[in-house]
Amino acid sequence: MKRRAVLAGLAAAGAAMAAGLYRFIEIFVKHYPATPYDDVLRQLADREQATLLGASVQGAPEAQVLAARLRTAMPDGLAAAARADIAAGRLTEVNGWLLPATVVLLAALAAKT
Amino acid sequence: MSAFVDARTLPSGTVLTPDIAIVGGGPAGISLALALANTKLDILLLESGGANFDPVVQALYSGTQSGDDYAALEAGRLRFLGGGTNHWGGWSRPLDAIDFEKRDWVPHSGWPFARTALEPYYPRAQALIEAGPWIYDKGDSIASAKAPMLPLGDGGLYTSWFQFSKTRDGVLPTPFGTRYQGDLKVAANIKPLLNANVTAIRLAPDAKRVDRLDVATLNGNRFTVKPRQVVLAAGGIENARLLLASNDVMKTGVGNQNDLVGRFFGDNPVPRDVATLVLFGGKRAPYYGNNLNMGNGAVMRAVFTPTAAFARSKHVMGSLTTMEHPVELDETGKAATVTTATALGVDAANASAYSVGCGMELMPDPDRRLTLTGDKDALGLPRLKLHMRVTDADFAKYRQTLSELGRQLLASGAGMLRLNCSKRADWLKNMDWGHHHLGTVRMHDDPKQGVVDADGKVHAIGNLFVAGSAVFPTYGASNPTLNLIALTLKLADHLKKVAA
Repeated sequence: MKRRAVLAGLAAAGAAMAAGLYRFIEIFVKHYPATPYDDVLRQLADREQATLLGASVQGAPEAQVLAARLRTAMPDGLAAAARADIAAGRLTEVNGWLLPATVVLLAALAAKT
Repeated sequence: MSAFVDARTLPSGTVLTPDIAIVGGGPAGISLALALANTKLDILLLESGGANFDPVVQALYSGTQSGDDYAALEAGRLRFLGGGTNHWGGWSRPLDAIDFEKRDWVPHSGWPFARTALEPYYPRAQALIEAGPWIYDKGDSIASAKAPMLPLGDGGLYTSWFQFSKTRDGVLPTPFGTRYQGDLKVAANIKPLLNANVTAIRLAPDAKRVDRLDVATLNGNRFTVKPRQVVLAAGGIENARLLLASNDVMKTGVGNQNDLVGRFFGDNPVPRDVATLVLFGGKRAPYYGNNLNMGNGAVMRAVFTPTAAFARSKHVMGSLTTMEHPVELDETGKAATVTTATALGVDAANASAYSVGCGMELMPDPDRRLTLTGDKDALGLPRLKLHMRVTDADFAKYRQTLSELGRQLLASGAGMLRLNCSKRADWLKNMDWGHHHLGTVRMHDDPKQGVVDADGKVHAIGNLFVAGSAVFPTYGASNPTLNLIALTLKLADHLKKVAA
């Protein structure tokens, strides 16, 4: 009887912790509706800021075109692509800011989704 | 010992016969006189003003303008002993070697000699401006021992250094008039003459030599100077005015047989807030935003400078880019900072932003020029009109340099840049000027391309020389005072030979 009570208590505690973790994630971790481009967009550490930046990008192509271009541009991830852009001088001006071209494309995609 | 003489007390009709007459008591004139002190040469230093500012004398400078907005002709210069050093900022930096070169992408470029010809004179020029030890090329090691320098990725710009003329009571850098009047007085062979305005350069009938100078004072005295040699050291505007106005023998003006005097007027534009520089880490060393005492008698400040290789490959002009005051980022700026820094794997939680300023070099332009008008000043000398022009290409070239700085900041992961000026109106909105008057009596070995030769002698006139930045054919972005003094000291050595 005593053992059964302990197990029940542990189970209840576990359930409470799981519920708490769920609520924590709900509250503190950002969620975005699923898109066909999540494989690309997950490269962004802060999608809200990227979306804000992307809203200032002029003349960006459609989302699926952007995504296709980004999948090609980032075989080794965003950081490597951004560094390659900088080394090659592939910078794009957004509202005057000089930014790596891949970062701008990604921000533009975030703004379109 | 020669006390200063007030020309207003000389009897009209006096004739003075020095070996060398120096016209103008600014940094060039005073440096030249001091360099010739205690020689066997009898030197007369003619200064238009007195020992202090006088608005009536200053008004002799006023003129008219057309074209792009520019400072009034009576602003930005001072007509009394010490000249421009009575209000200069003390910013000092030698010209770069490329500034002397003939560059295919810069029409009318090329000094008649390389920087190496001035190098022997720089240490004495540095001593005259009292800027401490010559450590322009050692700034990196000295500064980085105090605080880390901002890393730039490999590319077209590097960190270079200004030094500053010594300030007194934290206010004024070396004002040549008050600083050196004692030295001028104790030199037995120098006679400084105040309130003495040269109103005409009178050539001999064959136009091969200066015969005499007409001199006037504002109280009506008129007298004559008949020197063996004449050196104009009245500044980049007045030198041209005197040459153009002296047109009784050479009808287009002295030395103006090829229509060059007054053309190619130059200055260093100083547009403010041309960019916003974000440092991801937030901290910057103090020598980027302020003049920092390095503790060895030198006060220094870091600037970003295009390399010669970058200038050659991208065809840009000289520029010196400075970090200025902190600024706040707008929402797009914050988003750009966070998105870019995280993309590069850099922490930007403490990022800070700064306004960026600069000093630019303009492309030589023969149509940016001074001409005489029909209006005359109180002494009867024709007033000037300046046609000012800054081309879109001037701004575009500097914008290219700023873009490269932005790329290098990203490459090092240190930060990023926003270009604040896209349209011409953006550049002109916050435009200031260095008030460096340059190029109007340009130097070139070929008389068809320059008014004076490599020695500063006016082509075809045997005894007339010009000192100062008026003779600079191109001028980089370094402030001119240190450089014009070095060039003046070179002229002094030449004069010692020809006048002896």
